[in-house]
Amino acid sequence: MNRRLLALAAVLGPGLVAANAGNDAGGIATYASVGARYGYDLLWMIVLITVSLIVVQEMAARMGAVTGKGLAELIREQYGPRWSLFSTFSVLLANLGICISEFVGIGAALRLVHVPKYASIPIAAIVIWLLVVRGSYKVAQRVFVAMTIPFFAYPIAAVLAHPHWGAVGRAVVVPHIQLNGPYVVLFVATVGTTITPFMQLYLQSAVVERGLDETDLPAERAEVATASVFANLVAGFIIIATGATLFVHGDHTVNSAADAARALEPFAGRFAEALFAIGLLGASLLAAAILPVTAAYVIAETFGLEKGIARRPREAPVFVATLTVLICIGAVVALLPHIPVIKLLVLVQVVNGVLLPVTLFFVWRLARDPELMGEHRNGRVFDALAAATVLATSGLSLVLVGLTFAGKA
Amino acid sequence: MAVLHLSQVVGGDLRDAGGERLGRVDDLIVRLEGEEYPPVSGAVASVAGRQVFVPAELIEAITPGRVDLRAERLDLQHFRRRPGEVLLKKDVLDRQMINVDGARLVRANEIELTRLEGWYRAVGVDVSVRGLLRRVVPRALAGRIAAADFLDWASIEPFTGHVPTVRLRVPHPKLARLHPAQLADLVEAASHREGEEIIAAVAENPELEADVFEELEDQHRREFVEERSDDEIAELLARMEADDAADLVLQLPEERREHVIALLSPPHARRVRTLLGFDPATAGGLMSPEFLCLYADATREEALERVARSRVHPDVVAWLYAMTLHRRLHGGVRLADVVRAPEGTRLNDLVASVQMVTPDTELEEVARLMTDFDLTVVPVVDEDQVLLGVVTVDDVLELVLPEGWRRRFNLFGGE
Repeated sequence: MNRRLLALAAVLGPGLVAANAGNDAGGIATYASVGARYGYDLLWMIVLITVSLIVVQEMAARMGAVTGKGLAELIREQYGPRWSLFSTFSVLLANLGICISEFVGIGAALRLVHVPKYASIPIAAIVIWLLVVRGSYKVAQRVFVAMTIPFFAYPIAAVLAHPHWGAVGRAVVVPHIQLNGPYVVLFVATVGTTITPFMQLYLQSAVVERGLDETDLPAERAEVATASVFANLVAGFIIIATGATLFVHGDHTVNSAADAARALEPFAGRFAEALFAIGLLGASLLAAAILPVTAAYVIAETFGLEKGIARRPREAPVFVATLTVLICIGAVVALLPHIPVIKLLVLVQVVNGVLLPVTLFFVWRLARDPELMGEHRNGRVFDALAAATVLATSGLSLVLVGLTFAGKA
Repeated sequence: MAVLHLSQVVGGDLRDAGGERLGRVDDLIVRLEGEEYPPVSGAVASVAGRQVFVPAELIEAITPGRVDLRAERLDLQHFRRRPGEVLLKKDVLDRQMINVDGARLVRANEIELTRLEGWYRAVGVDVSVRGLLRRVVPRALAGRIAAADFLDWASIEPFTGHVPTVRLRVPHPKLARLHPAQLADLVEAASHREGEEIIAAVAENPELEADVFEELEDQHRREFVEERSDDEIAELLARMEADDAADLVLQLPEERREHVIALLSPPHARRVRTLLGFDPATAGGLMSPEFLCLYADATREEALERVARSRVHPDVVAWLYAMTLHRRLHGGVRLADVVRAPEGTRLNDLVASVQMVTPDTELEEVARLMTDFDLTVVPVVDEDQVLLGVVTVDDVLELVLPEGWRRRFNLFGGE
């Protein structure tokens, strides 16, 4: 019993971290845009995405426990260097985009409290670099996770905004599908921001790093499920809150962080902006710290470079260089003048959504491989769900690409 | 001596003596035990949609892109792994292995073969990015990427735990060349199963295994003892230094601790129990209860005799301690000074008073004493000034080095 609790406490970290990092700058921008533009119309897919997220995260955690290896490592070992490079580049591209969006988020959050981004972003970049290269990561993670607590304000704000609960309930159950550019774009963005490759990479590596094994699987499953449900409940409430305020008042576009913060007004009044700023800052910092390291791990695993024994810059130059480059590009792009913040954030999530099937495909194929996973391979029902997720996300990406070429998105 | 790249052999044609194409080469088979450069003992090929075994005796030549047979015909034996057989592509290529000479983990980007002493053998592993690049670009370009320096097979040790027919049966004799601290670093850097393989290999020598455990971090110690029986753990503890053994006991679930300690020899059990009573961040928790303390009247020869006979760690016997007839600590002397003293000198004439601490002295205070008085060993005494144990500088350094210094990127917050 004691041991079980211990195991649970051990995984509670990465699951929560992944869940909170999922509601990062890009996530909030996307959910707020969804709510403002379509009201509750897209709520039904949050339910589906939750199921998919649980399925995907569970596979990643299970593979980590059973094989003791990271995802990039497994792809390299099972499918050889070409596929491994392909998936690495798609992950890198997605991660670079998200990294930019986190710094944009940091800048936007601090601008709400009147700190210019030319001060906040460079400082944040330096702080994050120091943290990952030589600081105490554990403490930083806790602080960042704690800073996202203000996002609990969204459910309260949603209730205080007096949404039409009947309409909300109907929207959750009845799918509402439009086949036009903006709708599909937001749909893909929502999938892309909720099921993010870096979350699977992070979770699997975290499970490995903590030395969890098959006996810890039940605890891990419970953790993955609760964390996913929790993350998506917050997402759902952001949509409801913005749907009940911005959408109802006819503000159909969210252009800045200040716009998104206005959804919190029914609850927080004039503190809305400060609350929103703290939450946005915490989630963005958290993700901005995890992302570069995850990317550096992927590169090291793919190319078989040093990442294990001692990782001072001198001994693991590529590892440290990768994360330095990512942080620098992220910060520099975010510093460009006149960037349309929310638009950029949503765009990054779209790219993420399009690249997602690549990673998901490998996760699915590996998790069902009997030689690799033995008795822990996907069960029949579970496998069908996983396959459906891969197919659905791939289909969505194709539709989006098709619409883009047809000039409708 | 032409070097063959494995990735250019597999995927190539299998041809009979007449040059007729029979099928595709899928993999090459080696046995890892015994020889320094493992000879190719056969090939796996796809012929008419079936995976067949091609014994080495039938192979005439292996060249880039093709394997030629001696015979006109090939018996279509279905391929089935036999014990000890390792497939170079499936089991070794792209996987992690130990570079024994560099004491680090590397990944096999390419496997190099050559004809040596009459037959084709695996002679090395390319871990460079260039080796990887050659396999990514189209075949026509691949030939133009020159072979880089590769690691000699004699200095690598592949993991074989994932090979179903080999599981833990291939010994890893090269690992014995490594220092326990290097082995511990490898165990920590490898996946859990690979770590188990390393530990299983060093367990042939129980002393070495215990040394490796002394060097492992707490989290990893826990990982690797969890699944062992109480007897196995006690056996391991018996070979470890008492202070490290006590740390390891602390990693066990509470209900197991007493069982394990009870299985130790009485003096060892007593030492471990004593240590467990102390806070780990104080002198009492850091100290080792093994030391050399003689009566002040002892002669130089008696003292050296004691040193010669004792099994106490060399770091600890750098200092000898002298006590009064009431067992109170009287003073200390460096071993070197005892050795240099003229014959017949009494310890009493050699010792000087020493800095000492009590079990509840804080770690920082111990570290300060060591720095101020240039000590490598600090004695710990009780309220009657009876020597309980000594703290050595290595145990203190480990704890007081600033965090971030040679710290692992512990991204996931493990202890």
